[in-house]
Amino acid sequence: MLGAATKKQKRSDSEPGAETGRGEMSESRPTPATSTEAAAVPGRRAKTIEVRAVDLFYGDFQAVEGVTMTIEPNKVTALIGSSGCGKTTFLRSLNRMHELTPGARVQGEVTLDGEDIYDGRVDPVAVRRLIGMVFQQPNPFPTMSIYDNVAAGLNLNAKKVSKTQKDGVVERSLRGAHLWEEVKDRLDKPGGGLSGGQQQRLCIARAIAVEPEVLLMDEPCSALDPVATLAVEDLIAELKNRYTIVVVTHNMQQAARASDVTAFFNLDETGKPGHLVEMGPTEEIFTNPKKKETEDYVSGRFG
Amino acid sequence: MPEVARAEYLEELANLEASALGGLDLVSIALGRTLEAVEHQDVELAQLVVADDDRIDGRYLEVHQALITLLATQSPVATDLRLISSLLHVLKNIERMGDQCVNVCKVIPISGNEPPADREMVELILKMGRQTKALIMQAKRAFEGRDVEMAQDLVRQDDVVDNLNRDCFRLALELGDDADKREWAMTMLLAARALERTADNAVDIGEQVAFVVTGLFREFEDASHPSA
Repeated sequence: MLGAATKKQKRSDSEPGAETGRGEMSESRPTPATSTEAAAVPGRRAKTIEVRAVDLFYGDFQAVEGVTMTIEPNKVTALIGSSGCGKTTFLRSLNRMHELTPGARVQGEVTLDGEDIYDGRVDPVAVRRLIGMVFQQPNPFPTMSIYDNVAAGLNLNAKKVSKTQKDGVVERSLRGAHLWEEVKDRLDKPGGGLSGGQQQRLCIARAIAVEPEVLLMDEPCSALDPVATLAVEDLIAELKNRYTIVVVTHNMQQAARASDVTAFFNLDETGKPGHLVEMGPTEEIFTNPKKKETEDYVSGRFG
Repeated sequence: MPEVARAEYLEELANLEASALGGLDLVSIALGRTLEAVEHQDVELAQLVVADDDRIDGRYLEVHQALITLLATQSPVATDLRLISSLLHVLKNIERMGDQCVNVCKVIPISGNEPPADREMVELILKMGRQTKALIMQAKRAFEGRDVEMAQDLVRQDDVVDNLNRDCFRLALELGDDADKREWAMTMLLAARALERTADNAVDIGEQVAFVVTGLFREFEDASHPSA
């Protein structure tokens, strides 16, 4: 969770919504080498994730093998594949959440605009603040107010944020998550009182409140009804203007509708590691995939 | 995982393909009768072809609707999606070819029971018709076998039809001053034109074969930018 992930961050940031130098890994203490570079980047922009030869393990079990891909900024990349093919594990490796599982390890390289997120000097907590995550089940803090849910990341992140600044971030985030109009008159009510779709958008608001560079979403709509799903998909389409977005989905139509690039993962048999089979423009994957394996999967012939 | 998932859907799609391509058999039969009617100036047979076109239209509507239902309920993608898209095209081609047979059959009564028929002209029309019929069956085989090479060969076969069509035109010009004969020749040119268009529809089906197989649609020949 983003809130938890940001808890340990040492450095305070007085203006979480400010545009300058934000969202760099260098914000965390252990990576002073990159701070000048961060300062040199005016404003914020989405970033490219480069994945090279990544292998992921749970103890002795290899879950993912040899994934190399480029995740482009300002695009929605969908990860599809049958259960157990390692796509969620792979997603979790993109913001160093995989290593939170006991015994889990990562080989290979993942860089965010050229910076190795697995560099020994990089604070994983900082990585998770830059690369936010939204989960399958909406998980707002149920008793916490809507306002505090959105502000949670800020509260953990920063020493001092004025009420006015916080108000601004909360409103901007809720507007960004297309939720403001629905909740503006009941910001003090508990987050658990919202509908499932609203809760998921609240979680997205919470994720974007700390201004990440990348948003990872693990089946963000699987617990939502079709109307709420479309609302979240519309939101994703808008968020891609500001973020790099990676979505894991089991819903083929969602991948077809909501993503620009689709990556198909598969595994040869149960117990074998999952691997990337094919990645390309979504349109191509769904109209004319290069590999028969992809074709069989997207047309529902197996899986 | 099961050997074949979505077995019913796949069977339905295969049945619809067979049904749609079966429309080409209907067209082939209609064209055969049309040629016979032209050869013998058989007005009654011509009327039968006109009436029987309802069967071809019926096939078009029935399979078209079923394909739309598959699109709505099964969310086909990749090859399945291309196949359905191409079948929708092919059905339209079939419907048009049926109508062209009707067009030919409708001009037969105009020329009367004892027309001043020119044997050479009739032979040209029959030759065109037989060639067109062969094109239709070749298009069907190419589709069934997903045979792009055979589909592309349709262009070459179609050139034969086009040349015969030009021969018809030249011959009509040479048929002399007799008003009745000229009028008859005009109706035969309409028939030739309809057959020429029918053959073009068969070539269009070949283009759809290439689309299903390769995922790329392009016209084999562009009428507005002829290569030759």
